[in-house]
Amino acid sequence: MSSTAKSGKKSSWLLRLLFLSPVLILFAGFFVYPFFFTLYASFTRWRGIGAMQFIGIGNYVKIFADGTFHLALRNNFIWALSHGFVQIPFAALVAMILLREPKGWRFLRTVYFLPNVISTVALTMVWSSLYNVQFGLINEFLVKILGKQTVHFLGNPDIALSAVIFQTVIYIGYFMIILLSAGMNIPKELYEAAQIDGASVVQQERFITLPMLRGTLLTSITLAMAYGVRHFESTYLMTGGGPAYATTTMGIDLFQKMDALRYSEASTVGVLLILFGTVLIVAIRKIFGKSDPMSDMAQ
Amino acid sequence: MTRRVLLLATLVFVFLVAPLALYAAGTSEAVPGKEIELRWASIWVGQDSKAAPVNAIIAEFNAANAGKIKVVVDPQPDYNAHEQKIRTAIAAGIAPADIWTMKLNPTTAEFYNSPLLMDFTKSFKGDWKASFDAASVTTSTINGMLKSLPFEVAVLPIWFNMDLLAKVGVNAVPKTEAEFWSLMDKLKAAGISASSQMTGDTNAWTSMIWFSHFAISMGGPKVWSKPFTDPVFVKAAEYTKRMIVDYSTADAIGLGAGGSGGHFLAGRTALFSNGPWYAGRADLAATPFFKNITIAGLPAFGPTSNYTVSRIQANICAVATKDKAREAAIIEFLKYLSLPANVKRIAEASGAMFAVASDATPANHLQAQFATLAKNTKVSAQDLEAALGATATLEFGQQLSAFALGRISAAEFTKLVEAKIDR
Repeated sequence: MSSTAKSGKKSSWLLRLLFLSPVLILFAGFFVYPFFFTLYASFTRWRGIGAMQFIGIGNYVKIFADGTFHLALRNNFIWALSHGFVQIPFAALVAMILLREPKGWRFLRTVYFLPNVISTVALTMVWSSLYNVQFGLINEFLVKILGKQTVHFLGNPDIALSAVIFQTVIYIGYFMIILLSAGMNIPKELYEAAQIDGASVVQQERFITLPMLRGTLLTSITLAMAYGVRHFESTYLMTGGGPAYATTTMGIDLFQKMDALRYSEASTVGVLLILFGTVLIVAIRKIFGKSDPMSDMAQ
Repeated sequence: MTRRVLLLATLVFVFLVAPLALYAAGTSEAVPGKEIELRWASIWVGQDSKAAPVNAIIAEFNAANAGKIKVVVDPQPDYNAHEQKIRTAIAAGIAPADIWTMKLNPTTAEFYNSPLLMDFTKSFKGDWKASFDAASVTTSTINGMLKSLPFEVAVLPIWFNMDLLAKVGVNAVPKTEAEFWSLMDKLKAAGISASSQMTGDTNAWTSMIWFSHFAISMGGPKVWSKPFTDPVFVKAAEYTKRMIVDYSTADAIGLGAGGSGGHFLAGRTALFSNGPWYAGRADLAATPFFKNITIAGLPAFGPTSNYTVSRIQANICAVATKDKAREAAIIEFLKYLSLPANVKRIAEASGAMFAVASDATPANHLQAQFATLAKNTKVSAQDLEAALGATATLEFGQQLSAFALGRISAAEFTKLVEAKIDR
């Protein structure tokens, strides 16, 4: 190899490193370092000020003995499943309907996506008002139209979690757009051939659309469950994790521990949250992660 | 071509990374002769009743010290966000500002272990020290250090909407426990929600104050040193549950402070509990019953009578600095801010109460009632949050919901809270 080629290869390598360095520095500074710091802090007693005192697995023992954490873990699991297996099927159903391009489908596509550009805080405020036990529209409907008793949606531990989850999972626009885009890439010839063979619409969706969307569906389920695992905002704004910790999540538990200057315990919850999310996502990919017909077709 | 690309890459690198490096470098020491800029992360901004007088005092100080010291307000309109910012900054080893306020309680007392906070012990003397309430200074002195100056103080009595009381034929606040429950029953019978209660937010603020009243009346001013499983707290919990279940709005469980206050402002509840800062609100002054609000303590529910619930609402902290000029500038400003004449201006404009003695004339009848109440009560003790800290208070609010809903007994409730107290 000539010296010119060697020097060109070297400068090309340097160039790549230089271009990558801002991202690498930011990634190391804002993810790798905090992660290992959190991991270390989880094995210490530390209130955010002063030296850390190594206590081994003491925080883990304490957290697992705490009933609040058990509730948070359970709720996180419910959140993840709700996002992955309620929101995504709903989004897929709407996407499949819109893929048939019914009248006004473009308008409906925009309408379904609209809540995704509205701030979570604003939506949460709207839903808090809707759920209000004294003046909320839903209770007005229940009492005045259906003649039922008022329901304390956010104050009853039995239904508060469902109420908070409901106002999140109905916003399907983000995943609907992803599935719609993927669906538009399915070759039209497949449907034409199926029609010639006498396949009904339902059969076409079952045997063409769903298998062809498998990869995108899996990605969407993974993303949705990740959103569910890290859920925080709307629950914190609507209930603060209450009543009686009925709606708390690991994210809220972590935040409240930080708020009380229990940084090492908060770090422990953080580590467990990462572990929980990783196990859940890997499990989902193992269970549903078969070959993707779209990828097979591309190959 | 390669040189151009290299140049471009270098520029991208510099623009992305240089700001981080500059941020990490922090603030520099004051240059002799150059104006010292002090940043105050202030919660007394925007719609806060203390904003106008505090801003005027800052403007006067800046004018008098032009070219030497300039105080710049870094607005913190959200109290909770401000508290979280302080916690995060101090834990990260960064001072939130040159000057800031905090609520001192057993949780935030941990900040006294931080070298970031200035210890006022040496400079706090003479007339400056003499102008402060000694008890508040003692409360704010931990392990011989005075790392926060007590500034805003509060009593947390009960607010009575006398218009609603008149509707049930009652024209005076109850003086005995029997009169109190009788009033509650009359209001309930008339279809009026007797009191604003809440179990939401991080501290169940309104109900936490009610609970504190019951506990202090039954257990005396040193009640918080008892185990939370003490019968006094069990009984106080039962009274609080009764207030929530029988004499409050239907949405009390899970409700936040905004909702609780909103019910009183809208005239939907007859009794409310909050501090004097609430008396300076424009929306309160606009209510038709404003002139008919009476501020009073609760009757005795136990051996302690003529008592009130109190707290230091805001302590002022400053950054510890080796720069003597900056330290002197901070002290100079804090001395100016806490001059009795200036405190009087803030007190009169806002209705708030302070740890600095001043001959403030209350601006309205509510503020006058607060001042009279504070002056005339024999026993004063902190509320639950101020006495026991954040973790116990959070548990209190969460488990109060479960208790009010009948999921747990009073004994179980107090046991759960006790488990979260840092003793």
